[in-house]
Amino acid sequence: MDSLQLGSYTFSSRLILGTGKFSSAAVMLEAVRASGAQLITVALRRFNREQAEDDLFGPLSAMKGITLMPNTSGASTAAEAVRAAHIARELSGSAFIKVEIHPNPQHLMPDPIETFEAARILAKEGFLVMPYITADPVLAKRLEEVGCASVMPLGSAIGSGQGVATAAMIEIIIRESGIPVIVDAGLRSPSEAAHAMEMGCGAVLVNSAVAVAGNPPEMAEAFAEAVSAGRKAFRAGLMQKSGSAIATSPLTTFLGTY
Amino acid sequence: MRPLPDWLTDDRETAALAAMLAPDSSSSLEALAAESRAITLRRFGRTMTLYAPLYLSNYCSSGCVYCGFASDRKTVRHRLEPDETDRELAAMKKLGISDVLLLTGERTAAADFDYLRQSVEIAAKTMQRVSVEAFPMSVAEYRALADCGCTGITIYQETYNRERYEALHRWGPKKDFIDRLETPARALEGGIKSVGLGVLLGLSDPVEDALSLYRHLRHLGRTYWRAGMSLSFPRMRPQTGGYEPPFAVDDHTLARMIFAFRIALPDTELVLSTRESAAYRDGMSGLGITRMSIESRTTVGGYHETENKEKGQFEIFDDRTAKEFCTALRKKNIEPVFKNWEPAYNGPSDGNTAIIHTGEPQPCH
Amino acid sequence: MITIELNGQQQPLPADSAVSDLLAIIGSDGKSVAVVVNEQIIRPDNRSAHLLHEGDKVELLIFAGGG
Repeated sequence: MDSLQLGSYTFSSRLILGTGKFSSAAVMLEAVRASGAQLITVALRRFNREQAEDDLFGPLSAMKGITLMPNTSGASTAAEAVRAAHIARELSGSAFIKVEIHPNPQHLMPDPIETFEAARILAKEGFLVMPYITADPVLAKRLEEVGCASVMPLGSAIGSGQGVATAAMIEIIIRESGIPVIVDAGLRSPSEAAHAMEMGCGAVLVNSAVAVAGNPPEMAEAFAEAVSAGRKAFRAGLMQKSGSAIATSPLTTFLGTY
Repeated sequence: MRPLPDWLTDDRETAALAAMLAPDSSSSLEALAAESRAITLRRFGRTMTLYAPLYLSNYCSSGCVYCGFASDRKTVRHRLEPDETDRELAAMKKLGISDVLLLTGERTAAADFDYLRQSVEIAAKTMQRVSVEAFPMSVAEYRALADCGCTGITIYQETYNRERYEALHRWGPKKDFIDRLETPARALEGGIKSVGLGVLLGLSDPVEDALSLYRHLRHLGRTYWRAGMSLSFPRMRPQTGGYEPPFAVDDHTLARMIFAFRIALPDTELVLSTRESAAYRDGMSGLGITRMSIESRTTVGGYHETENKEKGQFEIFDDRTAKEFCTALRKKNIEPVFKNWEPAYNGPSDGNTAIIHTGEPQPCH
Repeated sequence: MITIELNGQQQPLPADSAVSDLLAIIGSDGKSVAVVVNEQIIRPDNRSAHLLHEGDKVELLIFAGGG
């Protein structure tokens, strides 16, 4: 059975779905259902009695086979992220925490130093830490060393829909990593998700591309199919790209002939 | 008997390499050479790092069937005393060498750890880079060597076929296959900055050994990701013991192997020694190999004295002088590099500690 | 009466109110809400025992959409 292993959790789906930016909770829930995703990200927000329908815990925990992965969005320091993780664990009951620390609300790029510090603390406390990071191979290894359950390098800026712009770096991260690599952020189309999986990613995390699609549940299903196709291709082993052009003067004449 | 580690038989990553190495591979040697050359040029430029071996001692406690220094051979045994080591190093410096590989046999009372450490200390005084190819050591011993200025450890598994390994290594500490397998990790754990791995081509099925070698390197690279790695392709030459290699590797097969490894591991140093002929080494320059030995003597010492009739561990095929060799390299538009390390950076590397995984080891994808 | 700060806004409460009383007043069943009083998490089984005091800073947090 080809499944995604994160800590002691096993998932048959390699698509992780975010729940932000949907037009309504009902559409979001339908998309979650259609995606077959088993790991779902949520964010912590202040309770507001005028907007009771914002509360996703009830409807999501009523769905079977779903594990919640709260994020620490809003945190701009390690200390804030650690605090958010503690609160989130109270609600989710799961050990998963997506460490997401972006001090600049314009571009939402993750702060590598604060992220590393928060990940180090939370992994030691027993959280399954899923850090959202820039596609930096050294940072990825450092996070693996402190006990993260995965690393989640960005394909491109959050919500940008620029696809896997960091493919060259992500390839290095995958080659060097002993933990699953999950491309998080920037994906626009299912073909990009398939590409990420073909490269050897353990999973992809998608949110905007589904949430703002014309028909979110249909797009969720398309992503699910693309992710499993990409995974299947990776496991099957892609054909080698043809090498460089053959030199005009042969390189191996010094070997003589058979 | 301790079981083989999982990574040694994990074939998930070796499909591409296996396809290139298969005797009936669809990739032509010429196409592999072209790709290998392009990668080498991009990553290493037009350079070749040069080093020379110095045999400190030919005492040995092991019974390797194929080796001229095995403990049952009648070879005269001796070791370099500190003043002789000094003289040898001075003679090597005169040849332009500043990157030395110190060699001994398996651990013996005559050439033990203290002797080796002392030799490293002596070499580190004059050489820019000192590496060691000797016997397996403990983490603490490796750390002590790193403290004295040793930056690299070369330790070949010889063959990854356990059955053949155990038959070929008749007695002595080297008989323990798993201990040998774990040695490079101990070296890195001890703060050694780079390790050199290899198989002795000729002992066992070359393709199987190559795939295992690749897995070994990848396994170490994931865990000790700060470490430098190199691979060697020593091919069995007629030995003093008169051993006939049962899986002789021809020129084409070796070339295919070098090209395939370069393509599979663009960043890894690939080494070719003077076991190979001048024509073969010249032909390989620029195509994938990035480090070569020069001026090798495989007898104990051998640089200082002019007349040396004793037999070495194996016969040298490329016996050109450093000057001749460099001229040949330059003719191919390749710059010989004698210094590729600054001793100011000597000392154990602190970052090399194994990754602490929580729970079960996980499949990587 | 006392006044606490609830999610950054002033909230009057009868004296001796517990966390559970506050939840009832604002119409939450408390199941899907995390409660933090002065930076300290108040677990569900402590909510009826934990009394609120003048000036307490109370944060009520829920899970909302996020990626």
